[in-house]
Amino acid sequence: MNDKRARALLPIVLAIAGGILLFNLIAFAFGQAPASALRLAFEGTWGTPYGLGQVLFKATPLLFTGLAFEVALRAGLFNIGAEGQLALASLVGALVAAKLPASLPMPIALPIVLASAAAVGALVAFIPAILRARRGVHEIITAIMVNRIVDAILPWTFSTVLGSTSLRTADIAPGAALPRLDRVVPSFAGSAASFAFPLAVVIVFAAMSALDRTRPGREIRWVGLRPEACRAEGIDVERRMLLAMLLSGALAALAVSSTALGYKGYYELGLGAGAGWSGIAVAMLGRGKAIGIVLAAIFLGTLEQAGLAVNARVPKEAMDVLEATLIVLVAVASRVASRTTGVVQSADPEPEPPCDKPAPTPASEEARS
Amino acid sequence: MAERSTPAASKLTVVTLVVSLAAAASTLLPARAEEPRPEGPHAKVRVGLVFDVGGRGDKSFNDAAYEGLSRAARELGVTTEVLEPSGAEDREAAMRLFAARGFDLVIGVGFIFSTDVNVVARDFPSTRFACIDYAPPMEGVMPPNVAGLRFREEEGSFLVGAVAGLMSKTGHVGFVGGMDIPLIRKFEAGYRAGVQEVCPRCEVHAAFAGTTPDAFRDPVKGKALANSEIAAGADVVYHAAGTTGHGVFEAARDMGVKAIGVDADQHDEMPGTVLTSMIKRGDVAVFDTIRDVAEGRFQAGLRTFGLAEGAVGYVDEGPHAAGIPEDTKRKVEALEQRVIRGEIKIPER
Amino acid sequence: MSSIFSLTMLAESIRIAVPYACAAIGGVWAERAGVIQIGLEGILLTGAFTAVAVTHATHSPTLGLVAAIGAGITLSLGHGQLTERARVHAVISGIALNLLALAATRMGLRALYDSASNSPGIEAFRFGPTGATGGAMLLRVLADPVFFCALAAVAATPFVLRNTRFGLRVRAAGENPVAAASVGISVTRVRLAALAVSGAICALGGAHLAYDQQRFESGMSAGRGFIALAAVVVSGWRAGRAALACLVFGVLEALQIVLQDEVRKTAIGDLIQTLPYVATLLVLALAPRRAGAPEGLGKHAAP
Repeated sequence: MNDKRARALLPIVLAIAGGILLFNLIAFAFGQAPASALRLAFEGTWGTPYGLGQVLFKATPLLFTGLAFEVALRAGLFNIGAEGQLALASLVGALVAAKLPASLPMPIALPIVLASAAAVGALVAFIPAILRARRGVHEIITAIMVNRIVDAILPWTFSTVLGSTSLRTADIAPGAALPRLDRVVPSFAGSAASFAFPLAVVIVFAAMSALDRTRPGREIRWVGLRPEACRAEGIDVERRMLLAMLLSGALAALAVSSTALGYKGYYELGLGAGAGWSGIAVAMLGRGKAIGIVLAAIFLGTLEQAGLAVNARVPKEAMDVLEATLIVLVAVASRVASRTTGVVQSADPEPEPPCDKPAPTPASEEARS
Repeated sequence: MAERSTPAASKLTVVTLVVSLAAAASTLLPARAEEPRPEGPHAKVRVGLVFDVGGRGDKSFNDAAYEGLSRAARELGVTTEVLEPSGAEDREAAMRLFAARGFDLVIGVGFIFSTDVNVVARDFPSTRFACIDYAPPMEGVMPPNVAGLRFREEEGSFLVGAVAGLMSKTGHVGFVGGMDIPLIRKFEAGYRAGVQEVCPRCEVHAAFAGTTPDAFRDPVKGKALANSEIAAGADVVYHAAGTTGHGVFEAARDMGVKAIGVDADQHDEMPGTVLTSMIKRGDVAVFDTIRDVAEGRFQAGLRTFGLAEGAVGYVDEGPHAAGIPEDTKRKVEALEQRVIRGEIKIPER
Repeated sequence: MSSIFSLTMLAESIRIAVPYACAAIGGVWAERAGVIQIGLEGILLTGAFTAVAVTHATHSPTLGLVAAIGAGITLSLGHGQLTERARVHAVISGIALNLLALAATRMGLRALYDSASNSPGIEAFRFGPTGATGGAMLLRVLADPVFFCALAAVAATPFVLRNTRFGLRVRAAGENPVAAASVGISVTRVRLAALAVSGAICALGGAHLAYDQQRFESGMSAGRGFIALAAVVVSGWRAGRAALACLVFGVLEALQIVLQDEVRKTAIGDLIQTLPYVATLLVLALAPRRAGAPEGLGKHAAP
């Protein structure tokens, strides 16, 4: 058992070691001593309370988008539309938050804003979802198209609908703002980490456990593993896929809590951009476990903040190169690991799926590797 | 379990081991370049400059600011550092990083820093901040430790507009703006006024590359817009569009017409095609602010730089202005004096 | 309105359409062989960067073009190795490819030219007359070696796919890899060969993009790879129609620029640039199931 666990960890170790090696080589190529660049990166992240706060801030949207990708993946779907879902939901969420009366207390204001953002996220995800469920169109192509459309809608909304040239919304109502974490951890002062982080962690654990423990959650998983068999069992495969995709969009949209609500107090064009893509890496590294997703998000958050810290000596793009390489490394390594030892991603003992006919290539398992 | 592990699995273990060792070993690599250490009376003064995403190297607005910083490092001996954020959420974080490290002056390059600088300045009341092209907050007041550096771009644009109007043979001139915002509209308004001043019958074709900051980084769009204006008859095209302007130069060269650069002297970007450049001395503003801080004379509040301060203008002498006839230069010089004396009022939009 | 039906418009439309068409044809090659390829954007960008970096170093745009094609083939084959041999999902590999290309080209700019935004200017191919007339513009667009190569690739692709032994194998690998393998076709090798062609043609588009500006600009592909993907889908994975769709997108973009003021005043405004994407969604929503996608897209010959 221990050996099996250890072998499942190998890809992660390989990824981290590979990442450090690559970073060192890049730093060296730019004339820097890798050791001092690493120290700079550490000082800017885990070395100071402020840096740590920034790491948590950077990790927060990734928790949401990583979870979003994971949920869709359970149903055998790729939600690569998180980028657009989050962007449009952030805009609408911030607009709603700005329109709320200033006197509205947080227990009412915050749920309203989060719910409207989630609804928009789900709505954006609905287009690829319904085309997949009803027409069998691959959700990848449609999600890319929708992302590009959202890209154009945002500036158009600012310039034409809102008539604003500053590309930002009005300030949100105080009740919609999430307090900063420095309220409870004073040494985080100045960092943008807010209560969105604990909120995100709670949601990740709650959602992952719901996926494993509730009937609809398990059905989503079975549908992803053995769609044909499930259909034969009388499960409405399309409906489960639709559900997973909408849920995924809504979860991605909640990342607005850390950017517009927990940090800026308004939405501006480009806020939270890139989180959708990094969420994919989080889900890949997270290996389908709640704790995995949390650790992966913190890891990538560290990379992003470190990119800023070392920026004066080593270009921040080094971290993006690392991220892309890590996705590939982990994918290849875990493919090798799972092929050779038969370690399946979810080691949890779970009730035998009702639709248990073998499927040649279960989409969700293949994707993870 | 170990006895059941396959060759491929143990290969993975070996690979992991090797990579880990290589990672550890590579940490010991030496540095290949030594950081130059500044010396002199002001070496203790530390200045941090934050660019917008993809700013550095634009041979225009951002590089002008960087030039001011480098000159301060050279001549005043201050310690300088630059950062480039990777996205909207990092602008504030980058300024905060400098402030938290105890820098004396933190400079944001571009109007996009206007809000961020206020937020950070309030948290670090003893640090000085400056923002180029600063847009004052709509409501509320500026923090007392922020210098908002603004330029009368319309005055410089007026002069190059006059050059364009005097030199156009077709009676059509062009303007390509980057992002469609009031700041860039100021360039357009000044340019139009300059053209009309010397050539009332001339037509100005104006276009903008977009409504997002990316419009300052889209030379492909810039070339297409300039092509369209030149095909419609324009034979002098002025751009205020960051690196989008590289596309304008490219179009002008292909089409055999003249272009006017912006912010810095852009002659070298396309010799023979770039007639002159409207100069906005971001370097002077940056250098002056740093010198003030170094000499303990820092002044907060809005500071506006125009023709009278010699902080805007156009390239009117030397080989980089060889394409402009003397006669034209004289006429524009006369206009310049009238603007400085306040006899000509130039619209801002 | 005369400006709309003019040589100027024609020249601009073709010039804009070339990178689209190259990427789209590259996409057709990959996907007809059965490999999902959403990394066209990354290959375009890498092609553009390589072309400029090599031209800048050697002063030879020909060498730059060759290097760009080489880089395109390398990336495309890397994608193929990951998807076909290591069996990483093609979507994951494609996304990683796009992220890597964007970050690596930016890092290259910093390393080679110490700039975050663009390379210095280069002397690329420059044939055809100088001048502002529509005829001169059209001649400049047509008398360009990169355009020749692109045109040849676009013209040859439908023929090769339909009439040659290699084309037949590519289609067999894409339609039904299991059946193809059972008649002795090495699906993996055929797919890798098709991917090499795909990468080469796509990188050609990147070189065109960069040579047209005579410099590299960070992120200059600006979503063109995705528009090309839209063209592939709209055309039902057929090369000729995909190229035609790209030309239509080129015309639309040129129109948008000529009519900027008029378009801006309407309520739609800048939304008009979403047209290729909306069209793709409509085609997918309304066309019969699978809409002409190769049956074996994303499937393997053996588990």
